[in-house]
Amino acid sequence: MNDKIEILLVEDNQHDAELTIRSLRKVNLANKLVHLKDGAEALDFIFAKGAFAGRQIENKPKVILLDIKMPKVDGIEVLRQIKSNDITKTIPVVIMTSSKEEQDIITSYNLGVNSYVVKPVDFEGFAKAVAELGFYWLMINELPE
Amino acid sequence: MRTKTDHFLFSRLSIQQRLPLLICTLLLASVIIYGFANYYSLKKATLIIGKERLNSFVVELASSLGTSAQSIIKIVNTTAAQKTVVECLKSDGKKFRKETIDALDKLHRDSTWVLVELLNKNLVPIIRSDKSTVNLKVNIKDLISYTKVGPDSSKVGKIYNIKGLVYHPVITAVTNQKHIIGYIVSWISIHETPKSMEQFYQLVGITADIYIENTDGSLWTNLIDPLSKSPFKIKKTNELIEFTNTDGRWMIARAQYIPHTYWLVVVAFSEQNMLNGVNSFVKWIVLIGIVLMAIGILAAWVMSRNITKPLNQLMAAAMAIAQGNYSSPVPIDEFKYDELGKLANAFNIMISEIYLAHHELENKVEERTAQLENVNKELEAFSYSVSHDLRTPLRAISGYSIMLKEDYEAELGTEGKRIIHNIITNAKMMGQLIDDLLSFSRLGKKELVRTQIDMQLLAKNVVNELLQSGPEDKYNFNIDLLPPIKADQVMIKQVLLNLVNNAIKYSSKKTDPKIVIGSIEKETKTIYYVKDNGAGFDMAYANKLFGVFQRLHSQEEFEGSGVGLALVKRIIEKHKGEIWAEGIENEGATFYFSLPKT
Repeated sequence: MNDKIEILLVEDNQHDAELTIRSLRKVNLANKLVHLKDGAEALDFIFAKGAFAGRQIENKPKVILLDIKMPKVDGIEVLRQIKSNDITKTIPVVIMTSSKEEQDIITSYNLGVNSYVVKPVDFEGFAKAVAELGFYWLMINELPE
Repeated sequence: MRTKTDHFLFSRLSIQQRLPLLICTLLLASVIIYGFANYYSLKKATLIIGKERLNSFVVELASSLGTSAQSIIKIVNTTAAQKTVVECLKSDGKKFRKETIDALDKLHRDSTWVLVELLNKNLVPIIRSDKSTVNLKVNIKDLISYTKVGPDSSKVGKIYNIKGLVYHPVITAVTNQKHIIGYIVSWISIHETPKSMEQFYQLVGITADIYIENTDGSLWTNLIDPLSKSPFKIKKTNELIEFTNTDGRWMIARAQYIPHTYWLVVVAFSEQNMLNGVNSFVKWIVLIGIVLMAIGILAAWVMSRNITKPLNQLMAAAMAIAQGNYSSPVPIDEFKYDELGKLANAFNIMISEIYLAHHELENKVEERTAQLENVNKELEAFSYSVSHDLRTPLRAISGYSIMLKEDYEAELGTEGKRIIHNIITNAKMMGQLIDDLLSFSRLGKKELVRTQIDMQLLAKNVVNELLQSGPEDKYNFNIDLLPPIKADQVMIKQVLLNLVNNAIKYSSKKTDPKIVIGSIEKETKTIYYVKDNGAGFDMAYANKLFGVFQRLHSQEEFEGSGVGLALVKRIIEKHKGEIWAEGIENEGATFYFSLPKT
């Protein structure tokens, strides 16, 4: 668990998660990926509490791919907590959602989201988008040490 | 035309102005009618009185002139009967000459007596007593013959014009033992000054023209000068004559014989003078009329203001209600007992009724609006979940199919590959359909952001964008000069994208596809069109073109969701524009849309 995490995928839908991971694996970016199934789990992981109490909070992922519509705690709430904590607020967060809701986009950007992506419905477009996202945040983007 | 305009003007006046006008007109009419009626009856009465006055004046004047003639006759008779005069004549002027001259001189009672002569039987003057040098050459024989003077009597003769002055003779017979032995002929001048005439008129209180005329009509005088011509013709005495004077005045006159003379006296009244009183009466009537009218207008104005004041208050209250203010009822204290008060009361009741109804209506509208908003929210939630909940499983179908195809292609076989391919394409199409539907339903919520659009540039960009995503090079695009327009750039781009995309799609099976983007300028709008020479359509189904899910071609022929043109129509209608299409099957279609210029 102390290994460096590159991608944190927070996605309640098993199929969407599988498609995302497959798309990333295809371009060889899924090696250090953690998949969590809801917002509560994600908060525990990021802030190293509950089931993830032993984790180092400073061990930050290079990018968080966050779904909005999730049971228990939704993506917007997760985003709010990440961006209001001094340690975690530097983690790039990409909202990935199925629906383009103007209100969600505005709220996300107000909370400091780094990217907002509407998942293309056809898999070819989806795979291409995910691959490009992974490539950008892992290979091109530079983060503070 | 003129009466129409007048009527129009009158109807444009307010009641407050109309009422005084009406009353003023009524007053004016009654003053005029009353004035005229009185004027005419007064005039008639005045004329009757004037005529009676004229009659009595003429009779009196004639009799007084006759009396004065008689007194002259008496005086001369006395002189002629003196013994000295008789003796003097008998002696042919030798005896008592001095005494006779004295007696004759005494006859000159005043300056009007110009000459007294004593003639003998042969009419030869024996003694002459004159006060002036005037030479009176009158045929005495003639005088004696028409006067037929008898013994012991005198006669007043006709008037004579002698060198511009009027004289009349008095002839007296000197008698001795019943035989005429000689005559005394006295000449008296009739020559009043205008001033003395005026004094006379003032004395009698009448302004009149007085004439004396010989009964045979041979000479006239106005008592000042002889008149060669008569001012009018006398038909008969004792009768009124009406005539226009030489100076234009309308006169009534009467003639009367003067006793003991050969004269007529004629008196003429000017009608105008008689009517002086009547005219001043008319002046008074006019003055009184003006004063009456002024008072009437003032009173009417005050009265109409009293009537219109509550009406104005009613009007103000009605205006307030028209502007949505129900809180100012008409005050009714001032005039609560009259009809207007009742009207105001009824009005106030009506207002409260309207207010209640209005209030109720507002409540209902609010209720309905809330219901509608609820429904709208539900719809939004529905479209959200449709987009989210349908897209996710669809992506899974699409994803797993591709995964199956990629990972197990070798094991699928030809038929398996065909099936998996169909699953993938259908999933893709369904995704497009959901996206189109969502953007179609979102359009309802979207506000227009109008900016000046360079349509020429936009059309070029749209064509370039579509050419990049794939069609073959065979397309021949022709973009005309397109005028700019003020509209929502994002939406209009969507319109052009859909229309041009359709044009590309439906002409894709032609060998020489041609697409023209053009425009037609109208006064208030600009019409843009996209024309192709593709599959076209049957005009009988033109009404189905713009409906959601309405398609004129099969999916095999041309793929599509059936939402594109519905979306275009919705955008154009949001801009208050119009959209329509013309087409001929297998020859091409033209899609027009118009946008208002303002």
